Amino acid sequence: MKLQELLTQLFPNGCDVATNGWLVTGEATSGGKPVSVLGTTDHVLIGVRETMVLADKLLEIVEQHPGRPIVLLVDNDGQRLALVEELLALPEYFAHLLRVQRLAYLSGSKLVAILYGNAVAGGFIAFGMLADRLVSISGAEPSVMKLEAILRVTKMPLEKLTSLATTVPVFAPGSDNFFKMGGLYEIWTDHFADHLHRLIQSDLSKDLRAGLGQERGGRTASKAIIDEIIAA
Amino acid sequence: MKPLFRISYLEATARQRIAGLLDRSSFQEIIPPTKKQISPHLGLFGAPVSWDDGAIIGEGQLEGHEVYVFAQEGKFRGGSIGEIHAAKITGLLYRAAQRKPKAVIGLFDSGGVRLEEANAGEIGATEIIRAIFEAQKAGVPVIGLLGGGTGCFGGASIMSCCCDVLIASEEGRLSVSGPEVIETVMGVEAFDSRDRALVWRTTGGKNRFLFGTVAVLVDDHIPAFREAAVAAIGQKRSFAIEALKTEARRLRERINSYGDKSDASQIWETMGLPGPGVSEMTAKELTEAKLLSKP
Repeated sequence: MKLQELLTQLFPNGCDVATNGWLVTGEATSGGKPVSVLGTTDHVLIGVRETMVLADKLLEIVEQHPGRPIVLLVDNDGQRLALVEELLALPEYFAHLLRVQRLAYLSGSKLVAILYGNAVAGGFIAFGMLADRLVSISGAEPSVMKLEAILRVTKMPLEKLTSLATTVPVFAPGSDNFFKMGGLYEIWTDHFADHLHRLIQSDLSKDLRAGLGQERGGRTASKAIIDEIIAA
Repeated sequence: MKPLFRISYLEATARQRIAGLLDRSSFQEIIPPTKKQISPHLGLFGAPVSWDDGAIIGEGQLEGHEVYVFAQEGKFRGGSIGEIHAAKITGLLYRAAQRKPKAVIGLFDSGGVRLEEANAGEIGATEIIRAIFEAQKAGVPVIGLLGGGTGCFGGASIMSCCCDVLIASEEGRLSVSGPEVIETVMGVEAFDSRDRALVWRTTGGKNRFLFGTVAVLVDDHIPAFREAAVAAIGQKRSFAIEALKTEARRLRERINSYGDKSDASQIWETMGLPGPGVSEMTAKELTEAKLLSKP
């Protein structure tokens, strides 16, 4: 879905959100209360510089509006694949962005990430997957790994892998698979504004994904193992 | 000069590393291999499984302090993060958040998310990161060790950088995308993954130490890791807004100072270190040289 269309549906009373290249920032209201908006567009690749822009913006939001809900709009093609990015220690930059998201959480802000475009690998972890809730809208395409990469590693015939992908949600790209694994809290098809308002009103403090993966039958082992270890 | 007698961390298995790191015979494994908790997914691909899914977790003592430990076995499917693997580490961290040992020690050795379980692994990796944050919130620091043969890539690299402190040997390579991935996608001229010297000086523990990503550099010697881990107990990173602003300034300055460099040896020379000579220095020599260099 196009960014403008998403914004119109999310914030029918209007919003003050601007794009500057790949960066999306601004303010809006949900259920009459202010929310901050931070996102990316154009399937941006996330490197050290993009990470710092996002982290600085988020720090600014947390400092100026502690406790205000933050809506993250997710659309990226993953991390920048380059020696110069890794030379500077890209994982440390991603971790910094996650630590700032954690600061927002600890300051009482609820983080709701809405996946509306692509979301790939490390970029998805750095921006989207560590929000308090991650939802997607129809048409969004999370893909941890492309099937071709899995093909190279497993050396399985393409036909067999493709047919497995239709029956087993554990590895194949796509929102429905990711939902079954508990990775998406919900998939929205309409009434985005109402859904957002409802989420912001609810308790988002716990990571529910292992339980959701179990309920939905995609990840049947995780929850029981985590519980067993805590109780051991 | 390297120490003459070394017990290699690099060559050891995850279980040998734990045994060498903790006080003698103090390790109590949780969900040991006898429980046969194997991956429910690998079989679909005709891939071999392991009774611990490449993740070993438990409790032990370090210099008399109660610590929890998780260790990734790089020799089983590249230490990759699958459903069971991730759940074991996540569970241990939540247990730590509740029971508050002195620290959690994480022995990273992983190529990242397991491709055959890509969705479960990616979600699991972020559940681990969330659980690291929960342990830290409960006041339990997480200490990361990097020195395994597989390195620390993808989701594992990001979670390791969320630790309170990282201890590494030169051999402990750390990056989001592995050199092979960059070469496959961008071409050999972008990153020649078979140029071992290039790989090590770009992603290796020395470069990470000189930037401060890694706090303590050690030689590839298990007792050296142990000594550094003992000294690191109690070190905590703050989530105060001022601390995060300082972190942001440090990371921005790194881009401003070195963002135009294409090779680690140029960076080291700018820092006032003997560019190519850095590779020859022991951990102690480089630690002393770093004190005199420009940040």
